[in-house]
Amino acid sequence: MMRRQSLFLASLLSPVTIYLGIFFIGPLAIIAVFSLLEPGLYGGVVWNFYHWNYGRMFGWADGVIEYYEPIYLKILWRSMMMAMFTVIACLIFVYPVTFWVSHLSQKRQMFFMFLITLPFFTSLIVRLYAWLMILKPSGIINDALLWIGIIDQPLDMIFTRFAVVLGMVYVMIPFMFLPVYASVERLDRSLIEASSDLGARGWQTFLKVILPQTLPGIAGGSVIVFIPSVGNFVIPDVLGGAKGLMIGNLVEQQFLDARNWPFGAALSMVIMTVVLTVMLIYALKIMRAGQNVGAS
Amino acid sequence: MWGPPDMKRFLKPGWLLLTFYSLIFFSFIYLPLAVIIIYSFNSNPMDMTSWQSFTLDWYRGLFGLAEVGPSLGTSAIYVESTDQLLKALRNSLIVATTTTIISTTIGTATAIAMTRFRFRLRNAYQGLMMMPMMMPDIVLGIGLLIFFVTLGFKLSLLTIIIGHCTFLSSYVFIVVQARMAALDPALEEASADLGANEWVTFKKVLMPQLMPGIVGGAMLAFIISMDDLVITYFIAGTDSTTLPMFIFSMLRRGVKPEINAIATLIILASLIIAVIGLYLRTRQVE
Repeated sequence: MMRRQSLFLASLLSPVTIYLGIFFIGPLAIIAVFSLLEPGLYGGVVWNFYHWNYGRMFGWADGVIEYYEPIYLKILWRSMMMAMFTVIACLIFVYPVTFWVSHLSQKRQMFFMFLITLPFFTSLIVRLYAWLMILKPSGIINDALLWIGIIDQPLDMIFTRFAVVLGMVYVMIPFMFLPVYASVERLDRSLIEASSDLGARGWQTFLKVILPQTLPGIAGGSVIVFIPSVGNFVIPDVLGGAKGLMIGNLVEQQFLDARNWPFGAALSMVIMTVVLTVMLIYALKIMRAGQNVGAS
Repeated sequence: MWGPPDMKRFLKPGWLLLTFYSLIFFSFIYLPLAVIIIYSFNSNPMDMTSWQSFTLDWYRGLFGLAEVGPSLGTSAIYVESTDQLLKALRNSLIVATTTTIISTTIGTATAIAMTRFRFRLRNAYQGLMMMPMMMPDIVLGIGLLIFFVTLGFKLSLLTIIIGHCTFLSSYVFIVVQARMAALDPALEEASADLGANEWVTFKKVLMPQLMPGIVGGAMLAFIISMDDLVITYFIAGTDSTTLPMFIFSMLRRGVKPEINAIATLIILASLIIAVIGLYLRTRQVE
């Protein structure tokens, strides 16, 4: 009996083990290896240990073959800042709406949840294209502003960092909404009642009662939004132009234009490190929060 | 006890304002989709954003029913791109269908193993299943590219399918696992007590209950596979352009008016699939 059970378990787990072992762990491992190889002269690689790929980014280049180029760190920093702005903007847009939705009748809640998730299922590239049309000098935003008379010349909104962040916010909104909404819906409303009965002002209740209780949802949503934003390359490619370049675009360039795969691999190792660090911090915080709940 | 009216009291001064803001928020979400649909009926061939008059020409052109374009010389390009479009659509459907079958099988098997068995590496597997979803697309994309090229795979539809399954198995896993968690294990125990072996219990008791979760996971996998651009972009061969790649390259080359019609049809198709999927899910809940 036991043997048959473990045979059953093995047959359930073997597909995923084999598949992810080869096609997920394999590629990740090979990026790590490639990031430490010497780039070949005309694309391709030479199988020598070569740490200058990282040196070129972080500043220990020899100055003869490989030069230190601060631009890479600058663009990495910029990408992290843009991802951060995206997180903050998503949160600000979404937070009030989650309260509104959570106070509707059950049926309407379902309906608006449905409305939030629906755009996620429509083509990403089509939605970005739509923003391209909206932000154009002859697009509807400029038309409207001109018509009202706030501006007398079309604004240059397309191919800027603003456009990239706007595009990312638009795409990531469902990912922020769902976790924040989950924590807002679970709010202990008797505490809010008590707080206002005891004479706390609205903003005091918000800061001391509501915000701490929704923090887990905010943290979860922030991580889920930050991670795909920081390494994004499609959104900056479509909406950003040269001014909105992000670290993901650099990786793409190394693979498709410069054909320096080892350097591209090193760049993506950096992205992976940023992402793993964020996840690690998040996991540690959650574990600590769990311990606190357990202790009290 | 603390129904909505009590909360409304807390929020009352701002409730109207909040409602107003929320409705604007929801319009903001749908604005881009509306813009595309409207422009797809605009007859202006030079600048799609300035309205000229209503036309169905772009749709007719897509289906080869009309010669479109400002002059005869350019219309040849449109016809050619329609062929490419249909090929891209076919490629996407092949990839999405195959990917859905493979990733649903892998994801479901793993979800069953994780919820019905206790084993030593369980936590490790849980982490492993989350990794492909959290890994930035571009990292996975170039990882697969180097992997395939180093091992001598030829980039083709097959490599796209392999790439999609690596992360879509995880999506199916999450959906099916959630469904598994809601099931009553007592039914399976009863089946085992009555003398059915694992396979019979699996087929006759577990699978029928699990089916809604599996269908939901499969639909999610299908939609994401149809839509994936980043990973596909790196591991597609020259001959294996998918629909999102086709549109992406159209955006890079400069857009033609017919793109609005294509985009509208894509929006409609994905909305229909999503509405069916979400409808099925809400019906289960009730």
